[in-house]
Amino acid sequence: MTALLRYQSALLLRSQRWLAPAVLYAAFLAVGVQSGQPVLDSLAYAAAALLPVAAWLVRICVTNEPPAARGCTAAAAGPRRAHLACLLTALLAVTLLGVAAVAVVAGISDAASTDHRTAVARGPAAGAGLLAMLVSALLGTAVGALTTWPLLRSPGRAVPALLLAAVLALVTAGSPARAALTELIDGSRDGVVPVPLGAVAGAVAAAALAVAVSCGVCSRRG
Amino acid sequence: MRGDSEHMVRLDGAGRRYGMRGPWVLRGVRLDVRAGTLVRVVGPNGTGKSTLLRLLARIDAPSEGRVTGRPRTAYVPERFPAALPFTAAGYLTHMGRVHGLTGGTAARRAEEWLARFGAAGHAATPMSELSKGSSQKVAVAQALLADPELLVLDEAWTGLDTEARAVLDRAVAERTTGGAAVVFVDHDPRRLAGHADTTYAITGSSVNRLEGDGSSAGAAGALADGSAVVIDVRGPRGAAPPVLPEAVVRAGGTVRSGAGGVDGVFRLAVAAVHSDLVLRELLTARPPWHVVAVNQGSRGGGVPDARRGDLAAIQAEPVGDAKAEAAVENDDENEDVRR
Repeated sequence: MTALLRYQSALLLRSQRWLAPAVLYAAFLAVGVQSGQPVLDSLAYAAAALLPVAAWLVRICVTNEPPAARGCTAAAAGPRRAHLACLLTALLAVTLLGVAAVAVVAGISDAASTDHRTAVARGPAAGAGLLAMLVSALLGTAVGALTTWPLLRSPGRAVPALLLAAVLALVTAGSPARAALTELIDGSRDGVVPVPLGAVAGAVAAAALAVAVSCGVCSRRG
Repeated sequence: MRGDSEHMVRLDGAGRRYGMRGPWVLRGVRLDVRAGTLVRVVGPNGTGKSTLLRLLARIDAPSEGRVTGRPRTAYVPERFPAALPFTAAGYLTHMGRVHGLTGGTAARRAEEWLARFGAAGHAATPMSELSKGSSQKVAVAQALLADPELLVLDEAWTGLDTEARAVLDRAVAERTTGGAAVVFVDHDPRRLAGHADTTYAITGSSVNRLEGDGSSAGAAGALADGSAVVIDVRGPRGAAPPVLPEAVVRAGGTVRSGAGGVDGVFRLAVAAVHSDLVLRELLTARPPWHVVAVNQGSRGGGVPDARRGDLAAIQAEPVGDAKAEAAVENDDENEDVRR
């Protein structure tokens, strides 16, 4: 699996297709996050924006290898492992992006509640931000895995499905992403740093299920 | 080395169709690839040869039925894309690692195989700048560099130059002699003619087994088409004749004693694709055989007599003291003549 991850990461890095989502994400943060804003609010905003980026990166990683080259990799490593490596590479890449975003946002934001009256410790706030990022990265990976090859093959259907699913994952009641964001925003209002572990557990389960389904059908659909 | 009867991959009533209601491309396929065998798949265009190979390489799962066996597999697709953001050597090193080699070994094998295919100069060339032929060499090298147990070749020869095709022929012979199984499709019916142990023909959506080559050439065809190499070897006094690997014998390889009326000399006639590996075995045997002469057979004449001085012959120099002296004397005589 190490060899596959190395191959897929090199493929992603050298293809430069990661640039578009990374630049768009940076632009989104530049517009929405300013220094001196309450830290937990800004982290919630950054985490929410990461979910569609994660789904997009999954789509990039899965479609990055030309079909013939994918055949060679699948024969050598098994189609499921090869596909799993694509999904994990995207998850790793988006996690890196999320960690970088937390570092920047936690660094420039005001360590205080929404009304700037209660102090919010910067370290624990960044920790809560990392957990929220993880929730977004995992759910975004789930969304990406379910809305690209092998489940949806025509881009005409896959891309709108991806966007719709990403929005729904953020706003639907009961979604771990929405739960994590709500905890962050409520925590900012009350000046209490939340620990959204329940949301992380939910996101892990959702991502594992989606990845299992995607890897399960990848050798059945040519 | 694996036993001959060992199954590599087996299809049991396997079928494949694309989509839930698509027509069956293949159905009810019973097929069994054994270790150390060469399997050819034939059939008209668009009948599912590639689909069958992808099932055997376990890239695709059957829509019904079962596939069993999971050897270390390498696959060469019909058309290999150049659209990868790596250099040729970089891609091969990555693939070597995916095949389970360490980074250092993968890089070394990548270099070796590119050199073998005459593409060493393209090692540092980005894949997107490679010609179609060089790209195909990378695809083939990718499959060969990790010594797979099952090699699946989908028209792998297409796009290769003549020399690279011959290298691939020999590589296939090396793999099968080394105990691996090779399954291939090629549009050229003469490709490895006489070497296939089993041929499967696709008609409609069913696959039928033909014995051996599936052509009238039979096992001796590989030698009869003029691609034989005749090797004369001498062993220690009273040595038993050399034993040829099984795959070489199946392809019509023979051993005769008393070649050219000389006692203790054995004449081996083997298919050209096997000549390198037979020579390697002879020279690395304990005690090693002394190679007296190597000659290429003449076209169409079956197994010819070895003729010294044949243009295509590679003559091994005698190493015995008496013979070395004789050679020196010969040189002296030649000098005399020139004077």
